Amino acid sequence: MDMPHVDSACKTLMIVEDEVLVAMTLRDELEEAGYDVLDLTERPEEAIAFALESAPDLALVNIQLNGRNDGIALAEQLKALNIPVLFISGQVSRAKTAQTVAIGSMPKPYSPTDMVLAVTWLLASLKGDESRFRPAGLEVFPTNTDEIASAQ
Amino acid sequence: MAILPRDDDEDVALSLTMAVIAASPTPLLLLDGEFRLVVASTSFCQSFGIDPGTATGCEVFMLGAGEWNVGSLRKLLVGIASGVAQIEPCEMDLKRSGKETRRLIVQVSQLVYEDLDHPRLLMAVADVTDARSGVRAKDEAIAHIGVLLQEVRHRVANSLQIVSAVLLQTARRTNSVETREQLKDAHNRVMSVAALERQLSASPYGDEIVELRTYFTTLCDNIAASLIDDSQCITLSVTGSGLVTPRVSVSLGLIVTELIINAVKHAFPHGRSGRIEIGYAANGSHWTLSVSDDGIGPPIDAGLDNTKLGTSIVRALAKQLDANVEVTLGNPGTIVRIECAKVALGGENDGFMPTAPSQEDGQRKQGDHVLERSNTNGHAARR
Repeated sequence: MDMPHVDSACKTLMIVEDEVLVAMTLRDELEEAGYDVLDLTERPEEAIAFALESAPDLALVNIQLNGRNDGIALAEQLKALNIPVLFISGQVSRAKTAQTVAIGSMPKPYSPTDMVLAVTWLLASLKGDESRFRPAGLEVFPTNTDEIASAQ
Repeated sequence: MAILPRDDDEDVALSLTMAVIAASPTPLLLLDGEFRLVVASTSFCQSFGIDPGTATGCEVFMLGAGEWNVGSLRKLLVGIASGVAQIEPCEMDLKRSGKETRRLIVQVSQLVYEDLDHPRLLMAVADVTDARSGVRAKDEAIAHIGVLLQEVRHRVANSLQIVSAVLLQTARRTNSVETREQLKDAHNRVMSVAALERQLSASPYGDEIVELRTYFTTLCDNIAASLIDDSQCITLSVTGSGLVTPRVSVSLGLIVTELIINAVKHAFPHGRSGRIEIGYAANGSHWTLSVSDDGIGPPIDAGLDNTKLGTSIVRALAKQLDANVEVTLGNPGTIVRIECAKVALGGENDGFMPTAPSQEDGQRKQGDHVLERSNTNGHAARR
């Protein structure tokens, strides 16, 4: 499926993933769809440095990074920098418990084309447009406190 | 006319009552109207370290070192003695210095007998500490298994993601168009299994049952996203529904994946638009899976290539499910039916949970021309 290049123009993404082949495939697919993708990283400190330098429009963060669940703490820090986070982890229940620090979750195993659709949907929805095609695997987290409490 | 018992008879009856209570294997106390101990069973005294010689005549709350002076027990005894009907047994913790706290269930009833001036209460005590800790241990074991299962699921998801990434990376780097196509097909097959894994993780039915309509719809979305260009208008839809076990659903999902890939690649040449419909209907152990398209139909010579991987996958999986593969001409297009009509034995349904067939699904259209029917030799899908 051809990806919508218009939506992705000038949008910068950051991928924080410790499985290098998974990260590369994701990067290739997102770049092919027209997104700018920062250098891949698997280290939270480096991710924060990239975020401060480039202020990506969305960060795709795996929860488990090198055997530790550092992705949630990283998401918290990125949220403080006003950078929205999409969890890209197979740890579905752990992602659910951390929905205050992310805007959604696209659990593994996902297809890279679905991930492009998910990113496009989320970036559009941040601007109030929810008319785009939303892939079935994308879970969107509530944004206000009451909704989060009732979801949990 | 009632025969009044003689005094020695009363003594015998009282003695027998005391002996029965004293010998009770269940911890029992007989109390008077002031909650003083008339007699305690030996089992009570041994279980809770009470000396029967000094305890008789004591108020129950004063037994031992005062550990029976508990609010819930007092409330229960007062309630029963005052005739309040249907007072539930109380639970209390018996705390004794230097000993493990025991969880007790205490049941009290007022004895009904002829001497109204001397009310008597029978108090039975059950120690449920060990039983409760057994239940707690079982709950903890179940929770631990749940955590392990989640971890396994996480690893399976991760592994499928890596396999999928390897296939796509290889596809990107190969110069051969044919090899690239084959690797993308392989990627779709992996994603077919991945979609099932993801559905099972979030399933309200648990790990045992897969709802096919949801599963097939996800497969259609995935395959459409990966194979159909924006310039081409091919609609995929799912009709009917059914519940099957994960083992069966993997096979059905792979069959559907192969047949959709085949239809997308061959039924709509030169950007032709069209429709692919996946249907499933079941009635007891009889079920039909169909994938139909309104494309150009199979070639006139019907020279189906038995050596193609997709064909052999469909055939092998159908055989595994004891099903026949039948390819018929649609009007227009092609219909592939996978059908199982075996008789269920002794309630055995081989992983298929019966659902009522949909009105619109699984029915043979009149005039369909059967090109081929086979569960062992036939060409299922490739044109």
